[in-house]
Amino acid sequence: MSSKHLRTGHVRSFSRMDGYLDFFQMLSGIGLILFMWSHMFFVATVLLSPRLFNFVAWLFEATYMANVAGVIIAMILISHFILAARKMPFKRNEFGEITKHALLINHKDTWKWLIQVVSGMIILVMGLAHVWVVLSAEPMNIGGKELIISATSSASRVANGWLLYYMVLLLVVEVHIGIGFYRLGVKWGYISRETRPFWKRIELAVTASFIVLGVAVLYTLLKYSEVSGI
Amino acid sequence: MARMLTFNIFRFNPQDEGSKPKMQTFKIEETDSMTLFIALHKIREEQDPSLMFDFCCRAGICGACGMIINGRPELACHTKTKDLPKVTTLMPLPVFKLVGDLSVDTGTWFRQMYQNSESWIHTNKEFDPNAPEERMSNETANAIYDLDRCIECGCCVASCGTARMRPEFMAPAGLMRVARFMVDPRDQRDSEDFYEIIGSDEGVFGCMGLLACEDTCPKDLPLQDQLGYLRKKMGITAIKHLIPGRKG
Ligand code: HEM
Ligand code: SF4
Ligand code: SF4
Ligand code: FES
Repeated sequence: MSSKHLRTGHVRSFSRMDGYLDFFQMLSGIGLILFMWSHMFFVATVLLSPRLFNFVAWLFEATYMANVAGVIIAMILISHFILAARKMPFKRNEFGEITKHALLINHKDTWKWLIQVVSGMIILVMGLAHVWVVLSAEPMNIGGKELIISATSSASRVANGWLLYYMVLLLVVEVHIGIGFYRLGVKWGYISRETRPFWKRIELAVTASFIVLGVAVLYTLLKYSEVSGI
Repeated sequence: MARMLTFNIFRFNPQDEGSKPKMQTFKIEETDSMTLFIALHKIREEQDPSLMFDFCCRAGICGACGMIINGRPELACHTKTKDLPKVTTLMPLPVFKLVGDLSVDTGTWFRQMYQNSESWIHTNKEFDPNAPEERMSNETANAIYDLDRCIECGCCVASCGTARMRPEFMAPAGLMRVARFMVDPRDQRDSEDFYEIIGSDEGVFGCMGLLACEDTCPKDLPLQDQLGYLRKKMGITAIKHLIPGRKG
């Protein structure tokens, strides 16, 4: 904004901002996917044994990774929301128009975008609340170590009313990720007309597998709460 | 036995103050190798002369007869009734200005698009009418031709949710037009110049990859591949300036 004549608004000023923002939107999406996949990988250790789960939790806590990563992820999540909000149907009657449009043209990928918008909003609220609740819990003494995250505390949450919450969060996150990575590939030209049917099948397979894995984890935690009497 | 076809058709004349938007049902008997174009004419001739719809070439060339046929933007002249179910719903293309019933004004939109997308060859070479035409490889000529096949029917624009929500969006047809000049070696613009035209949320970064355009284009233009290419190319053009030490 160095030149005074630009302040009038009558002179078109050139900006690369939209390109940068779109690029960072992509990066934030990829970052969150990678995080969610590692997250699933780590919680799925409970399928092998709760002790392994506790060990992983201890690794993260002893190195302060849990807190540092927690804050970073929350920041990426919020950045991703702010970046994606440029496209979200907030203005005027945009939500009404896109919904009517999806109903008019009866086209699957158009619906997918709407699902992505709605699931994103749900994740924003439920995901942040989840991070807050997990990381602000009282530490427990597990096998001589003070742990904020442990199979015991997770199992007790699942057994005490959080099951439905986690089921919903799991579903919206996995659906959002599936649609997200498919659309990323399309938008940036990595999924071509030729490979689109293949990637659609991958999208479905990945979404379904992670939902199954997530349900298995929740089921295991529920069982664990029964046998350990929490 | 010929089938009895039912058409539910959107009726509204915005020029007539007394006209109220409604759906009206017509029934006609199917004939051999009937197209939707023929069916609509029959309805107009035999049942309701006030029915408005556009056509011109009857051969998928002029792009005048685009409409929403059972939820899909399509050319009426290209649609055979034998491929349609017994009951068909016809709506005008959204996004464009409604002339009346199934007729919309795509012309005004496309004229505006030529201007916004600066769809002409930019060169400072002096044109010499006596010189032989410059040569171009067959491959390049084919690539240009492939993108030049657009008949401006507007089906892609009407299918695009982004274009519907955001009238300032250049829409698939506009972006495709820019892609056409990008491959043309006679055009002297470089990526930075093209970035000024499409490097924004009104341009290629506004596209959300919903692919309705790809799935509707009756001429099968490579919309998905071109939109992806444009975004990548324009993204890289922008990001280059973030690399430290490079003059931006
Ligand atoms: C677990 C967390 C999340 C993951 C893994 C994730 C992943 C993704 C990915 C990969 C994309 C595609 C990126 C792109 O099109 O550029 C995307 C798009 C999107 N995300 Fe998320 N996201 C998450 C959370 C959120 C949240 C909290 C919101 C906020 C409301 C949100 C809203 C959106 C929207 C609206 C889009 C579509 C943007 C567009 O069409 O341009 N997401 N997400
Ligand atoms: S891919 Fe882009 S241009 Fe095509 S319909 Fe979707 S948003 Fe519109
Ligand atoms: S790109 Fe296809 S759908 Fe779009 S106006 Fe051209 S011919 Fe019609
Ligand atoms: S009448 Fe010309 S394309 Fe259908």
